[in-house]
Amino acid sequence: MMTKISKENNIEKTNTKVTRKDLNRIFWRSFQMEFSWNYERQMNLAYTYALIPLLEKLYKKREDLSNALKRHLEFFNTTPHIVTMMLGVSAAMEEQNAENPDFDEGSINTVKASLMGPLAGLGDSFFWGTLRLIATGIGTSLALKGNVLGPILFILVFNIPHIAIRYFLTSAGYKMGTGFLQRLQEKGMMSKLTLGASILGLMVIGGMSASMIDITIPATIGSGDSATAIQDILDGIMPKLLPLGAFAIVYWLLGKGIKATTILLGIALVGILGTWIGIFA
Amino acid sequence: MFTALLLGLVAFVAQSEYALGTSLLSRPIVTGLFTGIIMGDVKAGVILGATLELAFIGSFSVGAAIPPDVVTGGILGTAFAISSGGGAETALLLGLPIATLVLVLKNLYLGFVLPVLSHKADKYAEQGDARAVGRMHLIGGLGLSLMLGLVVTISYYTGSDAIKQVLDAIPTPIQTGLQIATGLIPALGFAMLARLLINKQVVPYFFLGFLIVAYLDISITGIALLGGILAYIIVNLTQKPQVATYDGGGSDYDDEDF
Repeated sequence: MMTKISKENNIEKTNTKVTRKDLNRIFWRSFQMEFSWNYERQMNLAYTYALIPLLEKLYKKREDLSNALKRHLEFFNTTPHIVTMMLGVSAAMEEQNAENPDFDEGSINTVKASLMGPLAGLGDSFFWGTLRLIATGIGTSLALKGNVLGPILFILVFNIPHIAIRYFLTSAGYKMGTGFLQRLQEKGMMSKLTLGASILGLMVIGGMSASMIDITIPATIGSGDSATAIQDILDGIMPKLLPLGAFAIVYWLLGKGIKATTILLGIALVGILGTWIGIFA
Repeated sequence: MFTALLLGLVAFVAQSEYALGTSLLSRPIVTGLFTGIIMGDVKAGVILGATLELAFIGSFSVGAAIPPDVVTGGILGTAFAISSGGGAETALLLGLPIATLVLVLKNLYLGFVLPVLSHKADKYAEQGDARAVGRMHLIGGLGLSLMLGLVVTISYYTGSDAIKQVLDAIPTPIQTGLQIATGLIPALGFAMLARLLINKQVVPYFFLGFLIVAYLDISITGIALLGGILAYIIVNLTQKPQVATYDGGGSDYDDEDF
């Protein structure tokens, strides 16, 4: 279905098929995946940016488009070089969602959330651990002798496989998404998928909260030999207690309807005040 | 002044590697070449770039950690080393602290400027204005490239001490405090995502993932694999009736390899 290039001259009715052209646009836009990277939701803007032309094509009603944009503006992070695989899966799911009114919209994000971690694990170790080191090895050994080929080979050794993989994964992701969705519909397994993906997604978010939220209290109480670091006491209760507390407070504030921007400012103030009175440093 | 502008342009393009597929254009080995061309000593540029490349080898972003800024560190380190006639040690001596100091600026941008743009994008999304959402992304990215370009131009123009002085002028508690705040900001992203997925049935799995990492310190891939197995088990346990009506074919259970 995806290799069939639909004739663009059927102007009547909305076009809800993903074409090769759509996938190519996603591929090109995916190059900007880390351009607007930020601490709060990481690749959210860029991921949305990559899908915008497709979403505009699939959703003619303003409300549908608005929902689609909002769901992709949520947190997202993975290895940028292989993001096209996720984008392909998302494209397939959005296509389904546009065609089928019974489609569970939430599953688009649960699938994203549960796949981004494993993909990043694979992608980071291959691109940062292996390929980059090979490129650096070849490049620097020449460049240290003053050879201009050093930087040039560095770029080529890394980017030729990189771009080939990025391109291949765009349609592979889409195919995987559509094939998988068809099977799902045949057997009526959407609820199974939603449950399974939520379990997996939440475990990954829990794990990321423990490893990526970074806050400690190195200050000590008592003096001289009896001085005890507060962090040691906290670790005695439970490791990563503070990140969990931070998550809980933010989660609770969001539930109270406090705006994300306000929370962001609050976090900055907590950091500065905490440092000033000597809790954090 | 012209040299300073050209170096700023190199920084602008280098930072824009993030719009060009994270293609490693910002690495010192590449910027060293261009800095060398601009400074009129290609060979020195390439050698200094390679030296800095090795010094910054551990400096690349995995997950949420942002390393010292190799764009400004690499370009300014190389440029000052060539202009002062110094060797690799001069490049390292200047490049490393610059990279660390500029990281403070960059963190401010990534932690506070871009999230604000991201929240504006939320508003545009609410209105269904896709073009404006895309614009927030582009403005955010170009802004950072521009900022690093300016840092390089101004620093080169005013000399190596200037950038240090500007950054030193920010009171330490504010500098450290903001650094600490950037460690907390991911909590906001995770909490927003969790709000989306959570229902009563699956709340425990958040804590399970959290505790496994907190106590056992295993990688996110490890958690994902465990989560996949667990999801498979739970789905089969809780949705038994469907298993009974399952009529051969076997592919029912392939969902985990997706």
